[in-house]
Amino acid sequence: MDKKSYTPYMFIAPHLILFIIFFGIPAVFGIVISFTKWNILGTPEWVGLKNYAEILSDSSSTFYTQFHIGIKNTLLFTLFSVPFCIIVPLLLACALNTKTKGQKIFQSIFYLPTLFSISSVILAWGFLFNKNFGPINRMLGNSINWGGIQPYTWIAIVIITVWWYIGGNMVIYQAALAGVPIDMYEAASLDGAGAITKFFKITLPSIKNQIAYTLVITTIAQLNIYGQPLMFSKGGPANSTSVLLMYIKQTAFGSGESIAGIASAMAVMLGLCIIFVASLQFYFLREKA
Amino acid sequence: MIKIKKNGSKITAFIFLFVMALFWILPVLYTVFSSFKTTTEINISGYKLLPTQWVVSNYINVLTNFNNAPIIRWFLNSLLISTVQTILVIIISSSAAYAYSRLKFKGRDFVFWILMSTMMFPSVVNLIPLYKILSILNWIDTPLAVIVPGAVGVFNIFLIKQFMASIPMEFDESARIDGANNFQIYVKIILPLIRPVLTIVALFTFTGSWNDFLWPSIVFNNIESLPLTPALQLFQGMYLVDYGRLTTSAVIAIIPTLVLYLFTQKYFLEGLNLSSGVKG
Amino acid sequence: MNKKLKSIVCVAVTAISLVAMVGCGSKSSSETAATSAKSSDNEIVLWTPLAGPDGDTMTAMIDDYNKTNPKYKVKHVPIQENDLYSKLPSVVSSGKEVPDLTIVHAERIPLFVKNDMLVPYDDAIAKDGNNIKEENYLKEGWRVGQVNDKRYGIPLDVHTYITYYNPDLLAKYGPHVLDDNVITMDEVKEVGEAAKKDGIAAIGVDWMRVMTLAWIGQLGGDITSDGTKPTVDTPQAEKALKTMKDFVDQKIATQDGDDPQQLFKTNKLVFWPEGIWMRNGFKDSDVNWKMTNFITFDKSKLLNWSSSHNFVMFKNPARDEAKQQGVIDFLKWMGNNSIKWATEAGQNPASMAVQNSPEFAKEPQAFLAKNPDALHVFNYQYYGYVAEALDKIVLDTVFGKMEIKDGLTQAQKEVEDRIANGK
Repeated sequence: MDKKSYTPYMFIAPHLILFIIFFGIPAVFGIVISFTKWNILGTPEWVGLKNYAEILSDSSSTFYTQFHIGIKNTLLFTLFSVPFCIIVPLLLACALNTKTKGQKIFQSIFYLPTLFSISSVILAWGFLFNKNFGPINRMLGNSINWGGIQPYTWIAIVIITVWWYIGGNMVIYQAALAGVPIDMYEAASLDGAGAITKFFKITLPSIKNQIAYTLVITTIAQLNIYGQPLMFSKGGPANSTSVLLMYIKQTAFGSGESIAGIASAMAVMLGLCIIFVASLQFYFLREKA
Repeated sequence: MIKIKKNGSKITAFIFLFVMALFWILPVLYTVFSSFKTTTEINISGYKLLPTQWVVSNYINVLTNFNNAPIIRWFLNSLLISTVQTILVIIISSSAAYAYSRLKFKGRDFVFWILMSTMMFPSVVNLIPLYKILSILNWIDTPLAVIVPGAVGVFNIFLIKQFMASIPMEFDESARIDGANNFQIYVKIILPLIRPVLTIVALFTFTGSWNDFLWPSIVFNNIESLPLTPALQLFQGMYLVDYGRLTTSAVIAIIPTLVLYLFTQKYFLEGLNLSSGVKG
Repeated sequence: MNKKLKSIVCVAVTAISLVAMVGCGSKSSSETAATSAKSSDNEIVLWTPLAGPDGDTMTAMIDDYNKTNPKYKVKHVPIQENDLYSKLPSVVSSGKEVPDLTIVHAERIPLFVKNDMLVPYDDAIAKDGNNIKEENYLKEGWRVGQVNDKRYGIPLDVHTYITYYNPDLLAKYGPHVLDDNVITMDEVKEVGEAAKKDGIAAIGVDWMRVMTLAWIGQLGGDITSDGTKPTVDTPQAEKALKTMKDFVDQKIATQDGDDPQQLFKTNKLVFWPEGIWMRNGFKDSDVNWKMTNFITFDKSKLLNWSSSHNFVMFKNPARDEAKQQGVIDFLKWMGNNSIKWATEAGQNPASMAVQNSPEFAKEPQAFLAKNPDALHVFNYQYYGYVAEALDKIVLDTVFGKMEIKDGLTQAQKEVEDRIANGK
């Protein structure tokens, strides 16, 4: 009897111990830094809530402006990209699930982009979106400055992100769809249900767990966006694609002295934001009964 | 009737997939073809897809620059780090997921939610304290500095947990009645049923580890110790941008993970067929 | 069933032994690393931000040095620039695996000194035979290595931003511009007016930040009033940005989204402002090109924005006096043997021995030796903040997406706030 009550702890222990040492403690430190003034080299100086006050309510401060621009752009980007990052791979997975010809090749093509590093991705898309010589402008017969004018910049960044990201979600959906019993579909067909009805009444509810997972993870991933706007549009035009993580990184690891306290406070605020959004999603997607 | 309907949906699916695939493969084709162009051509003759003159000089440059760019050593470093990390992750994540999803113990949900919440904070400023911890352990400039911190993610546990949720608890209960303990249930019943998701976790972990370049650049101080992806970043000169070399290193970097993917694809599809038997 | 259990156990055992192997193997390699950091390994570890082709040249020069069989051989460790500067604070404060010698950009030296991270050279170079003196180096390169009357940096080069021009296009649209060997902004305007009917631009909008800084200097301004307070929002800055904005509007300058390098290499641009380091990019291009000083507002005042790679020594408990002398020996050698840095990497070595050599005279960038006073390094201690603040606004203001006044106000505020939040 005693053995049984300890076993669960043995299952979670390996992960938990490593987690505490290599993530928990640094994370706690990271939060503590947000209550200090520190340039990484000297000793931190305790300032209490001053950093938070500055980024949240001191509208004359540059950090206030940067925080607000950053969080707004991060949220906007997430809003634009997450729906595509869920719907597109879902449709692809359903199409693949019909076991049509060339399934393996198609799956590989859609998964391939996830294997590239962000710099290779921007390198390739930089060619495609080039204003004067890129094939996209050639095809459209236009001379659009994708990296420099809105809304084209947002469109380009969302396209790049979706192209790069959806492979993982697609594979998860495929695995989920495979677990849905075929007889449910056949029974529905006999009842006269069309494809669309079957999709909404059988498919979606059956893979609800995996959709919940991908929705939360994708949202978190996009709230952490950094590479695409940094390298493709350099935060422009006119700060419109400057996302919060860019400001955080520059404040902590920029060319001058590090301002780790404020960077950390911004990171904590972003973290709270992410937790809030994720919790909302969980609440709406929770298992009923 | 059903047969025609099935074919109809297959054809629609095929057309849809075909069109999407054309769009999807374009950037990849661009990168691959560019690696066979000279940098001059990439810079000047516009952005045509196919090279006017096919060259392999970029590949020769990148692969044989042994003194400055020991590519085989980097490859082996990556192989070691990614493989060990993947095995570590599979073991600790699946066992933890089993406990969080199927065992009852005090504080189960509370602990899980704390873990999830902590992971949602951007890890930017954690880097400095983490570096200090690794420095104290003397792990800086060793593979452990990359393997272990990267294995503590909670999202894999979450994913496995979600898949485990669709396995009926009756399986566990009937096994318990037969006298099996938790470990036996985990190994003999649960693990076989979640093969597809474990394959996914292995694939994601290996690929994520392979492509990671920020953290390895910070914890490794010697060029020989670097894994492949961050090492290839060194080709991006400070001032001069050699597109030929860059596209070539992009192609070389994905070959191992592509091979792994193709290898697991077969295993993964088999696993899909297995699990579709579960419910039926 | 048992097979499955066995295989799980096998995997687990393999994994644990792999991790143990990695752990043990790495512990012993970290032990050798630790001992190699001490002087028992006769090696000087040199960290540089020189990745890519420049790094290869540096490695070649270091190989040459090592072939002379010095007491301490040098090991070149190139690191991506951003990673290098991000790492240094953590590494130096941990005291472990600190590099023996490092190349940094000169603008970073004041802050490193302020945070007590560097070891001065004064005692070492005062010793007999250590021929490291002011007269052996370019004035500007030597100047930036000095902070508070102590010498913290020995220069490798003074790399500068100049103007590439197309002699054929210039002969057509501005045949007399270079009679006085100086290109002025007024002359750019004339050339632009003449060339634009053929769809050719006169001046490229390239690395706007350094171009703006050079112009601010030429107009008599600076980015600091007293070495502490920043002056970003100045009439000179405004004039520089306004002139360029007008050029863009009048199609005398390249447009938003254009790549000046592409245009220059396809004979569609007359003046291409860029760094001397870009000259190797012309290797397989057949465009006709020459180099001259950066375009100036004032004919009598030439000012080329420059930076300088300097050798510095971070505080390292493992570097003893003998090794420090080894560092000095290497730097002495560099002082006489850095010609490759000019011929292969297209750089402007700071050593006067190289500057005065006949091989250097053959290089396109050798014209810089005629006006050494034109080279200016902005080594204001908060240069980093100014650079990042300007980066955010220079392109947007010149391309009309932001008002110049708003941009400069934003930049000034940003630098002030970041300084206030530092120490």
